[in-house]
Amino acid sequence: MWIYIVRRLVWIPILLLFVSLVTFALGRFGPGDPVVVMLGNRYDESTAERLRDELGLNRSFVVQYGDYMWGFFKGDFGESLRFRGRPVRDLILPKMWVSAQLGFAALIISVGIGLPLGFFIATRQGSWIDPTSVALSLFIMSIPVMVIAPALLWVGCLKLSWFPCSGWGGFFDSRLVIPAIVMGVPGIAGMTRIMRASTLDVLGQDFIRTARAKGLSEWKVNSVHVFQNAMIPIVTILAFSCAGLIGGAFITETILGIPGIGRFAVDAIFDRDYPVIMAITLIGSIAFVIANLIADISYAFIDPRIRLN
Amino acid sequence: MKKFGVSIIFLSIALIIGCGGGSATEEISDVGDQEIRLTDAIPENPVVEPAAEGVFRRIWSDPPTLDPALVSDTTSMGIVAEVFSGLVTLNTDLRLEPDLAESWEISSDGTTYTFKIRENATFHNGKQVTATDFKWSLERAANPQTVSPVAETYLNDIVGVMDVIEGRTSEISGIKVIDDLTLQITIDAPKAYFLAKLTYPTAFVVDRENVESGGQTWTDEINGTGPFKLKEYKIGERIVLERFDNSNENDGGVSLIVMNLAGGQSMAMYENNEIDITGVGLFDLERVLDPNEPLNRELVIAPPDFSISYIGFNTQMAPFDDLKFRQALNHAIDKKLIAEEVLSNLVTPAYGILPPGFPGYNEQLEGLRYDSELAKQLLSESKYSDGDTRPRIVVTVPGRGGSVGLDMEVILEMWRQVLGVEVEIQQVEWATYLEDLNKNKFQAFAGLGWEADYPDPQDFLDILFHSDSKLNHGQYSNGQVDLILENARINPDPIDRIKLYQNAEQLIVTDAAWVPLWFEGERHVLIKPYVKGYRLTPMTVPKLSQVKIEK
Repeated sequence: MWIYIVRRLVWIPILLLFVSLVTFALGRFGPGDPVVVMLGNRYDESTAERLRDELGLNRSFVVQYGDYMWGFFKGDFGESLRFRGRPVRDLILPKMWVSAQLGFAALIISVGIGLPLGFFIATRQGSWIDPTSVALSLFIMSIPVMVIAPALLWVGCLKLSWFPCSGWGGFFDSRLVIPAIVMGVPGIAGMTRIMRASTLDVLGQDFIRTARAKGLSEWKVNSVHVFQNAMIPIVTILAFSCAGLIGGAFITETILGIPGIGRFAVDAIFDRDYPVIMAITLIGSIAFVIANLIADISYAFIDPRIRLN
Repeated sequence: MKKFGVSIIFLSIALIIGCGGGSATEEISDVGDQEIRLTDAIPENPVVEPAAEGVFRRIWSDPPTLDPALVSDTTSMGIVAEVFSGLVTLNTDLRLEPDLAESWEISSDGTTYTFKIRENATFHNGKQVTATDFKWSLERAANPQTVSPVAETYLNDIVGVMDVIEGRTSEISGIKVIDDLTLQITIDAPKAYFLAKLTYPTAFVVDRENVESGGQTWTDEINGTGPFKLKEYKIGERIVLERFDNSNENDGGVSLIVMNLAGGQSMAMYENNEIDITGVGLFDLERVLDPNEPLNRELVIAPPDFSISYIGFNTQMAPFDDLKFRQALNHAIDKKLIAEEVLSNLVTPAYGILPPGFPGYNEQLEGLRYDSELAKQLLSESKYSDGDTRPRIVVTVPGRGGSVGLDMEVILEMWRQVLGVEVEIQQVEWATYLEDLNKNKFQAFAGLGWEADYPDPQDFLDILFHSDSKLNHGQYSNGQVDLILENARINPDPIDRIKLYQNAEQLIVTDAAWVPLWFEGERHVLIKPYVKGYRLTPMTVPKLSQVKIEK
């Protein structure tokens, strides 16, 4: 198994090289230019040239790319073009941390309610509970954030005055509640549906019938055989959800005034802040690769049929 | 001053007050270098301050810059104008007032200004402001190393500035230090608007030591001269301004300004007492206007910004090289109907260029008003009357992929119905839009506005329509207009000058260089009753020191 892990890890730099090259090239060869955005209406060719020189944007593609990647592997993500003189690392890490906490809170809600609910519904197949829940979860899934966030603000903040309407105060602050619900609730529906499907799949397997036939209690059948096996596809989804946490949520963050990475990243793209875009993309890629690896490894523990050699 | 996406303007009516002209160009900034550890992300002080004594809380956006030499937008201006200051300023009635200069004399030929600096004018650290500081600050702003996008616009009247901007020397020959507190500035011609230009941050004083020791992020620790000190700036989170007590404007008013940069639903935040001022968007307007609604008592009508939005034509490109064709398009639009039915009267139809209330605004101006018959006739007389041979027409607008604006859709439909002219619309995102606009590549462009920097008609007409202006993106060129504009620059008589500008404006309008669309209408703003002295102004001027919090 160790060999497997090492082999996967070796792939990370190669993958990063590929992702970074594509992202870098898209920025440099695509339309738009950070200097043009900075100067806006005051654009004139000589000022723009001076600015490009100062920011090192006049160097050749290969030199710029090489310079950036060399820095990146040393942990230096360069300086932002929009917030001049500011190291990208100092700009994005605190914001990723905010988004990650918020995303984690949302994930707790989705998983904490979605998994048991999905399992419960699957074991009640055939009764009215099943179709009703499926319909309900579809309904919840299709409510856009733009609707649910203002609605929650209106009730939770303006009518009941339970929570403030905006801002961020950390994981254990009441301001976390509304955004976590906004982001977590649609996840409940998704999680419920996946867990239900997965559980139903397992329930139809021969080994469940065998377990029942050998006289195991219903509790034991469900908890050991059904639940554990139903979790296998869920693990992959969970791992990717965790990796996605640092991506932030543009709309939720904007509506609820949260200083997260989602809004920052979108603005960086529109303003062509190349170093910020690069750093967010690369960190995101690393997170996904690692999450994928963790998912694969955990299969080996959950499902004895899988061996990672 | 600057272009802004018009759709963003409408959004900002709902979201942000006083932060007008927000655009994608908005977020470049020079800020701190302090260590940020992961745990710092949880602010020890919550982002939302409780409504404490002397604290004024509002929503703002990350300023593109805090360096006075680089400011070219209202978001930065709103902070820089409070933290720094210059020789002269505009008060909340937009009248020119002495600031760090206590008085000045103008030579009889109108080209030499001798400023006397106040004896008690100091930086925040107590150091006296001298004429040498001003000389250094202006030379720094003009220095090509500073890369100021506006130095030429605001300082080019001073003798010798262009030599510095173009890198031939580092000293401005037209600026002389007579003694510690006397500064002499010579300009190239008697220009009535020169003092007004000095109210813009490009001409503000900065502390040389502060700038030279701070490197690129010197604005982290600002040693300014304005009524407020920058106490804290966390990118994307908040800006806190603290009252500077030695300021001459100290009158026991507000002590802290907390500006929330993280966004949020400003109306909900206002109602929940998280901020003290908010704009009212279209969706809340009806409720707030209802006299039975408690919020109605906190409603304030703000004067419109001095701004105009328009459709620009490239007058060198077919079919807009034909005067009659341009006029036909102008006459075919029923702006009054659009303003009333589509835009809920949040805007005023524009027939001229200068906004109502602005110096030089001409009520008698003959605009190209809606007249479908005349429009048809003009089209038939134009070179492009035949739809089959007419070139394809594309209007380009900036945007982030949303709708192109209801007004544009209706205008396209009016052109189709009245004239049978088919016009396509193309939306490109801001960075790409600016790049092509600067190269004058668009056949026609919309979604733009122009906002005043200083109250003088030169700021609109000369900058946007003179043949040599870099911002004349429609490449409009009329020798007669150029001549009038050049005469107006140096005409010493204020009334004659205004007349010249009004003549030029009439010619430009009749030439149909643009379709002028909208002047901003009155804005609806809610201000908490305990906030006193907050003046809503049509331009960004220093005003926070007059705010008092009375509870």
